[in-house]
Amino acid sequence: MDLTAFIKDFDKAIDSAMSWATDHGGLLFDLVRAALERFFDLVTSGLLLLPYWAAALVAGAIAARSLGWKAGIATAAGLAFCQMMDLWSETVETMCLVLVSVLLAILIGAPLGILAGYRPRLSQTIDPVLDLIQTLPPYIYLLPSIAFLGYGPATAIAATVIVSVPPVIRLVAHGFRSTPVEFVELGEATGTAPRDAFLKIRLPFALPSIMAGVNQSLMMAFGMVVIAGIVGSGGLGETIYGAVRKLDIALSVNAAIAIVILTIIIDRISQSAAAHRRPA
Amino acid sequence: MTDADTPLIECRNVWKVFGERAREAIASIRERHLGKREVLTEFGCVVGVHDASFALKKGEIFCIMGLSGSGKSTLLRLLNRLIEPSLGEVLVKGRAINGLSKTELRDLRARTIGMVFQNVALIPTRTVLENAAFGLEVQGIPAAERRRIATDALSRVGLGDWLDRYPRELSGGMQQRVGLARAIAADPEIILMDEPFSALDPLIRRQLQDEFRALTKSLGKSAVFITHDLDEAIRIGDRIAIMKDGAMIQVGTAEEIVMNPADQYVADFVAGISRIHLVKAGSVMMPPADFTDAPTAALEQTGLDADIDALIHLVLASPHGAVAVSEDGDLRGVVTARTLLEGLKGDHAPVAGAA
Repeated sequence: MDLTAFIKDFDKAIDSAMSWATDHGGLLFDLVRAALERFFDLVTSGLLLLPYWAAALVAGAIAARSLGWKAGIATAAGLAFCQMMDLWSETVETMCLVLVSVLLAILIGAPLGILAGYRPRLSQTIDPVLDLIQTLPPYIYLLPSIAFLGYGPATAIAATVIVSVPPVIRLVAHGFRSTPVEFVELGEATGTAPRDAFLKIRLPFALPSIMAGVNQSLMMAFGMVVIAGIVGSGGLGETIYGAVRKLDIALSVNAAIAIVILTIIIDRISQSAAAHRRPA
Repeated sequence: MTDADTPLIECRNVWKVFGERAREAIASIRERHLGKREVLTEFGCVVGVHDASFALKKGEIFCIMGLSGSGKSTLLRLLNRLIEPSLGEVLVKGRAINGLSKTELRDLRARTIGMVFQNVALIPTRTVLENAAFGLEVQGIPAAERRRIATDALSRVGLGDWLDRYPRELSGGMQQRVGLARAIAADPEIILMDEPFSALDPLIRRQLQDEFRALTKSLGKSAVFITHDLDEAIRIGDRIAIMKDGAMIQVGTAEEIVMNPADQYVADFVAGISRIHLVKAGSVMMPPADFTDAPTAALEQTGLDADIDALIHLVLASPHGAVAVSEDGDLRGVVTARTLLEGLKGDHAPVAGAA
């Protein structure tokens, strides 16, 4: 069989599968889109109720509590700076895109990770899929998302979830897999029921790894959310994309600075949460 | 339905062979007497436990001594079915545990058989008290009750003042005491000890050995104690089993093993053991008829269980250089300086019928 013909047939099959899905799954995709957008709007408008200075103070207090007072001041100042650059609502939108996506990534990834942690066989099937997701260039995921969900934040969230799920699955699985063998035996030898063994033995040992997974997931999400500016995600990603198209270098630099500030704040706070969970 | 004579644990011809072709391997071990290495090359199987049988009596501390890889830890885990036997059966209080349902097995482990681990396995995020109460907690005992029981268990091991500390604040010896408290808090009849003191320094180890023995006896518990250290086995055990390549090559009291090693392997082990408190008059005496230096009636009397240390004193004090050994008024033998030296050296053939 001719290989080029085969490849052409394959591409055609993919195309027709896509159009079949858009034709027949319209209602489903509309529902997903509506749900994602509604959720995103809810979180964003909720956070925007706070004036910028109150949000900066709250974030500063959280950072001060987990990282010390210097970090607290830097956090509050950084967020105030975003406001000074007149990018406050975009910053909040980006933050919400990330939080919503990572929340969904955790909801999807944690159960899979727990299963994979308990069953090495399942791990062996999941791992190649995760490898594939992580090796493909991230903006690939915008294509099916935009085909099914159209232009807007729903697409951005869907693509971001795909990118931020693998670290959750991997590190949750790792956490549950790496309970020291003597503690697994302790559970068995004391006649501990499986539910208690999960909550009281496996979970405490898995927590540091789970938190590291959340941190990784957040970082992946930040990367993707900016790329998703192309599909009308809203937030700083779209600001940068617009500024690049108009060659507005000043604006793109400002937005980039805002992203860096936001990323560092979220990274440090979530990292310290991971460190606090580490058993001595 | 258990009376005093039913052993708490009985192992009947138990085998554990790891690997997919375990059954074939066992069959050919029986037919062709294959060794460990042949089984590995022919079947790709590892022999963990090789036809082990023993019984743990009520109130007894049974030590299983063997080097690493001898199968002692595997054997211990067969007793509470952490590992399933390939063949043979294990009875706990007369009941075969192979057939227990999941719930029955959990119940057995929660209430009847406790376990203490080599690396203690204290959960680092819990306090000493919470760790000691772990078994009670997963049995669903109310908080106040388990606090009371665990506090009591901790004060029995001398840690009454450490309840709210975390494991990392405790020394290795203290951590192992918490492990022991956790096991006794659930009030099991049997405690399985998996080399609990191996990682401790010698002084602390000796202290814990003595405390463990005293505590077990005072609580009326029974224990199977795994160790790679013959001194420890002798110090703690009422009876000792020596394991090699998965098989129990000798079972007996410390004195029996030291005086009559079953083979060269055991003999090499016991060669370095001090016999002075271990060997008793019954093992070092000669028949009364062989003693002709003086009428036996003129000799000082002692019992069969006088140890060599005591015998040395008696023999030195005697004008005839000898002491008569009797039981219930019957003369059983005579110990002289010569028989003592032979007993200490270890090639003395004990008189027939001696204990």
